[in-house]
Amino acid sequence: MLEIAELAAGYGETQVLHGLSLTVPAGRVLALLGRNGAGKTTTLRAVMGLVPARGGSIRLDGRPLAGLPPHAIARLGIGYVPETRDIFPSLTVRENLELAARRFARPGAAWTMERVLALFPALAGRLGTGGGQLSGGEQQMLAIARALLMNPLLLLLDEPTEGLAPIVVQQIHDKLAELKAEGLTMLLVEQNFGFAVSLADEVAMLGRGAVVWSGSPDAARADGEAQARWLGV
Amino acid sequence: MDAAFWIVQALNALQLSMLLFLLSVGLTIVFGLMHFINLAHGALYALGAFVAVSAAGFTGSTWAAFAAAPLAVATVGVLLYLLLIRRLRSAGPMNQVLVTFGLIFVFLDLFRMIWGDIALGLPEPEVLAGQTGLFGVVYPTYRLFIILLGLAVMAVLALVLARTPIGAMIRAGVDNDRMAACLGIDVDRLFFLVFCVGCALAGLAGAVAAPVLSVTTDMGTGILIPTLVVVVVGGLGSLKGAVAGSLLTGFVQTFGAVIAPQLAAIAIYAMLAAVLILRPAGLFPARA
Ligand SMILES: Nc1ncnc2c1ncn2[C@@H]1O[C@H](COP(=O)(O)OP(=O)(O)O)[C@@H](O)[C@H]1O
Ligand SMILES: [Mg+2]
Repeated sequence: MLEIAELAAGYGETQVLHGLSLTVPAGRVLALLGRNGAGKTTTLRAVMGLVPARGGSIRLDGRPLAGLPPHAIARLGIGYVPETRDIFPSLTVRENLELAARRFARPGAAWTMERVLALFPALAGRLGTGGGQLSGGEQQMLAIARALLMNPLLLLLDEPTEGLAPIVVQQIHDKLAELKAEGLTMLLVEQNFGFAVSLADEVAMLGRGAVVWSGSPDAARADGEAQARWLGV
Repeated sequence: MDAAFWIVQALNALQLSMLLFLLSVGLTIVFGLMHFINLAHGALYALGAFVAVSAAGFTGSTWAAFAAAPLAVATVGVLLYLLLIRRLRSAGPMNQVLVTFGLIFVFLDLFRMIWGDIALGLPEPEVLAGQTGLFGVVYPTYRLFIILLGLAVMAVLALVLARTPIGAMIRAGVDNDRMAACLGIDVDRLFFLVFCVGCALAGLAGAVAAPVLSVTTDMGTGILIPTLVVVVVGGLGSLKGAVAGSLLTGFVQTFGAVIAPQLAAIAIYAMLAAVLILRPAGLFPARA
């Protein structure tokens, strides 16, 4: 579904990604792990077109994304849940959701307002609340719900557990497991090793701006040396 | 000086505030969306006044002039956008300031060439001629019309921003343009739309101001500074800020001129300084 080959990207003078390659097959969950500052967020930003790719290629179902603006990439079917959640504070919870729902609603689409509210009942009671008044957990749920309403082919998740209480992390885990069971393709960026590996079909570790380790979740769990070297676990 | 005098001054202040509102609202929301400031916005106000004078001369109707001016100025806005502003989008603030500042002089010369250097006038619509009694004072009916028009535009914009899908898109774009784009919103197109509406409102402001002011080539330069003061005092990017900033600036300018004529020229700058000391981001900035 998503193929990144030899991607080079960065900010101004500093290059962050040096030839990063990875593939997320349709219907699978790839966990992308790496230390703080390794370039995980930059990878997702490059896929969304928020950071220009300076080299290499990014393809969605074979279609090159290079040079497309973020709104066009979003419309091709990529839902993005950023690290900072980026809930619009001037919009209510309902407006945050409708913003995505209105643009991507199709007859027969998998995700509707009713269905995301059934998945996240906590949001159903908060529809009139301002986006700036939510707890961290509610913001995360809203960011995921909003991305689902885009009925994406591929969901990009940037550290969905960051800064959340363990019980909320567990809730998010269960929701993502439901999505996985439905066959949604996901690229999951995490620093929480246990969380990511328990959800993933495949694991990739990022170091020095490239993928330095890849394998199955079991292999990732077993490889203490790779964990220590690339994740500092 | 009795109560009637102060009521008249308050109405004058309100009328100035409404013109400032029509001018500043487009400017501030465009800035909120794209961090782009068009210094030639005042020139578009003058253009609105000139087009209104010509349209009234041509059709014999001031109402037709009021319709023609916003349309003509919006059209000029479309051309400006396609030829110039679209290319400036990624050129950085300094280039934007220099180019739009240069545009002021281009417009000044165009006005001189087309309409000459003599002050022109526009008759008020006949139904609005004369005076109306209000709060125990008599006040020019036409000036009341300006106040009501400003309030009506305010109400419509508030409704569109608060209640419609396009309003939610604009608020989202002002909050976080990158995330809005990641939800499939073409923020450039939204910017273009808001820019054109802002141009039309500047043209409308020029046209409705024409009957109470004399129409001169430099009328846009004179109003630019108070308009920028409104934008900064109100806080960038918000309708509420444009409303509050316009009222504050209109009242300070009007009452400053009455209470302390010798200080009138600096009254709004003193207010600007005071607001920025207390609220560095302005009264109601869109991004806290
Ligand atoms: N907006 C930015 N401007 C400049 N440098 C940045 C920016 N964002 C991130 N970086 C730098 O890029 C590197 C990779 O960051 P990031 O992709 O956020 O890492 P991760 O998500 O893996 O923690 C870091 O060194 C970081 O300091
Ligand atoms: Mg990150």
